[in-house]
Amino acid sequence: MKPARCLLGIALALSSLTAAERGNYVESFDTIYNSLTIEKNGTMVEMRARSRRGEALESAVDLADPLKLVVGYTRTLYAGLFFQPKPSRVMMIGLGGAGFHRLFSAAYPDTLLQSVELDPKVLELCETRLAFTPTAQTPVALMDGRMFVKRDKTKWDWIILDAFRGGYVPSHLKTEEFYRECAARLDDRGVFISNLHSGTELFYSDLKTIRSVFPQVAIFETAGRGNVIACAVKYRSPDMTKPENWAQVSESVAKVLAGRLDLDALKAERLPMPEREMRLGRQLTDDFSPVEFLDAMKTNNTAPR
Amino acid sequence: MSIIAFYLAVVTLGILSMGFQMLGSRLLSPHFGSSIDVWACLISTFLAAFSLGSMAGGTISNLAAPARRRSQLVCALATVVSLAVTAFWGRALLAQIETALTTPLLGVIAACLVLFFVPVTALSTFSPQCVQFLAQRGVAPGKASGLVYGVSTLGNIAGVMLTTFVLIPNFRVSTLLDVWLVVAVLTLVALLRFLRTPASP
Repeated sequence: MKPARCLLGIALALSSLTAAERGNYVESFDTIYNSLTIEKNGTMVEMRARSRRGEALESAVDLADPLKLVVGYTRTLYAGLFFQPKPSRVMMIGLGGAGFHRLFSAAYPDTLLQSVELDPKVLELCETRLAFTPTAQTPVALMDGRMFVKRDKTKWDWIILDAFRGGYVPSHLKTEEFYRECAARLDDRGVFISNLHSGTELFYSDLKTIRSVFPQVAIFETAGRGNVIACAVKYRSPDMTKPENWAQVSESVAKVLAGRLDLDALKAERLPMPEREMRLGRQLTDDFSPVEFLDAMKTNNTAPR
Repeated sequence: MSIIAFYLAVVTLGILSMGFQMLGSRLLSPHFGSSIDVWACLISTFLAAFSLGSMAGGTISNLAAPARRRSQLVCALATVVSLAVTAFWGRALLAQIETALTTPLLGVIAACLVLFFVPVTALSTFSPQCVQFLAQRGVAPGKASGLVYGVSTLGNIAGVMLTTFVLIPNFRVSTLLDVWLVVAVLTLVALLRFLRTPASP
């Protein structure tokens, strides 16, 4: 009887193991713009893009808790709330895995969150693997971000720039002219939010270029990740670089965010502007934007992190 | 010495044409992005220009001397004038095209044709004439063709690499287009002199 029980136990263990692993997978996709990996591990699904420095985590969703902000910088993007806490129209260039969208749509169900994505496969993977379904409130336009900004005449409360192609940002989305086009489409009290990577020459050039267009810029660092989120506004007054002037979110929004986003911790992530390095940075224009080369050059280690 | 200068001019032709393609991509991207569609249109425009230019150049090289000289002058002037249009009014033209043609693909095709097709076609007419130049000086036609296209393709590679890794990271695109214009003028003056020199009997 004993060996039989043992065999039964092993068979049961094996079958339960298989059941647990059945849903897990790693898939690779070579799209026309990216080399993507989708990995599902338990309830967690990650989207990663191959870049020069290995694989970059683009987005992730916990299918058991889709509102959870899994990737650190998607939390930092919410710093836009300090500058415009009642957005009714938000445009996001770069869909990724829609890691930002779910919580935002839950907190602001009536807000239009328009995404612009160049790579059709990214949208397809979002829908089929990362449980994101575009709706009338969260439409996705498949086109170049700059072309969308030029052609669309909507005034946006937030414009979020989070467009990466395998770890780098296309050069035409980093220039003074592009930021001016974004500013022209931004409401007077709106906020322009950009996901930057610190530690490269591009970071300082980018900040310098953003500030040449927007009078006020505040930056927030995602702890330990190298992402810095720049929030820029078109107005000079009040002084939005002072936290005491930052807005509060409504109670209903705070309820949705509770337990998922700590706004006080986010406030503490604010960094001073790296003025000295920015002075040395080169301003990027449509006529001069060697983005790929600036991004590849690591700055010296004395740069503030 | 003169044959080295001749090959130098052929290499420069290659540098000018493919380096121009890299500059072209930077001109287009603020208006039409840098998606795969844009690259497809850009590359196709250049290949069409190489094709038409080579055929036209082949015809020119077999014309009688007076007509050939006139055609060479027309091609050189067409290269310089169209390069000047791209260098000085390229961005203004792109803005007009972008506004006039709201279908992105049509806009890119029109932009490529207006800004790049004429200069590259005109420039390409000189390669077959360079083959003829060598053939008239006793180089077997097949060998002459191989030499000119081989050397010119080395120039193409140099043009892509130099423009991408040295020039674009350090200079403004507008400055580089001015440089392209000046280098094209100098190269074409040298080539016209070579091509008009009668072969020694």
